[in-house]
Amino acid sequence: MLPSRFDRQFRRLSERLLHAGIAPRHVRRYVCELSDHFDDLVREEKEGGAGHELAATRALSRLGHEDDLAAAMLARPELRSFMARFPWAVFGLGPIILLALSVVGALYFEVWLLNHSGGVFTYLTGQRPGPASARLATRIYTVYNTLIVYGGPLLFAWLFYWMGTRQRMRPAWMLTGVVLICVLGGFQNLIFYDKGYVGGGVLLIESGLISPFVHFTGDSFFSPFPYAEGLARVAMNLAIAAGAWLWLTARTKAGATAVEFHTART
Amino acid sequence: MRPMASSSFMNGVPELLILRTLSTGEMYGYELVQAIRTRTNQAIKVGEGVVYPALHALETEGMLKSRRKLVNGRTRVYYALTRKGEKHLADLVRHWQHITDAIGFAIGGTAHAAVTL
Repeated sequence: MLPSRFDRQFRRLSERLLHAGIAPRHVRRYVCELSDHFDDLVREEKEGGAGHELAATRALSRLGHEDDLAAAMLARPELRSFMARFPWAVFGLGPIILLALSVVGALYFEVWLLNHSGGVFTYLTGQRPGPASARLATRIYTVYNTLIVYGGPLLFAWLFYWMGTRQRMRPAWMLTGVVLICVLGGFQNLIFYDKGYVGGGVLLIESGLISPFVHFTGDSFFSPFPYAEGLARVAMNLAIAAGAWLWLTARTKAGATAVEFHTART
Repeated sequence: MRPMASSSFMNGVPELLILRTLSTGEMYGYELVQAIRTRTNQAIKVGEGVVYPALHALETEGMLKSRRKLVNGRTRVYYALTRKGEKHLADLVRHWQHITDAIGFAIGGTAHAAVTL
């Protein structure tokens, strides 16, 4: 068990390495290994006759000064994360690629479901799909599409925030990723409706990512995607993301203050 | 004799010592550091914690592999040499043999006369 001042030292080292761009998995393992090593050294010193406090101080000295421990890690550029090396790729290109892949992936999955759902319906009910089942199918696929186009961007926005805070990235980069995903995510749409006869289903994909980007120019005459709806969804995405950001940041700060207070008291 | 601290002369030494020590079998950090201290007769003195970045880097380069093992209720990370690590160790040993021979020759020892660096 680490005494609190040593615990604080390891936490400080961890923060320093994360800010410098060392990959979180390496930082986590490094600090775990150091604290285990520290415990072993304390045990060894105690077996040599030292008291607990003296053993801990000697163990820390043998382990190395915090600056040396940090420098040893920072001298290894290969241990830096991809995100720290190429933040523009992760927070600039990442949202575009992720969003495009998710919409295309969701679309292909829906097509696969549509190709199989008729058979499943017949197998379960013993009837051929008709107008009644078409209404049900339309409702089910509308729920699926809504989850994809409304929930997807917010989920990805949270993912970029989480990845960024985990690596202690600059807020400007995280903000870039979150805003991009919220804005672009507002201009994607998946629509399905069934006309009630075999082969009568209609599946539409509308995307503001497709050239010539008329959806962003407000030229609703040429655009199949309603400009106002896209803007409203962008505003909603941004409002939800901003609220969640502020709440998560406040919670993290409160947690850090509580830990500092606890370690200061102990 | 005073123990050697880290300097530019020590470049590559941690890797060599780690790989050579792990060539005898898998070890976790503390065990490895103690083994190195014994092997070098405590002549090389560095902060024991700085061995871990070298271990992580060697693992990233594919020279080592690691696995977690539960020992006495604690999870230890054990490191072992890979094939690539074995080859690299052989190269490093050859290289250092050349250097020590050359230095031995330069300071008037009994090393081989023909040394190429």
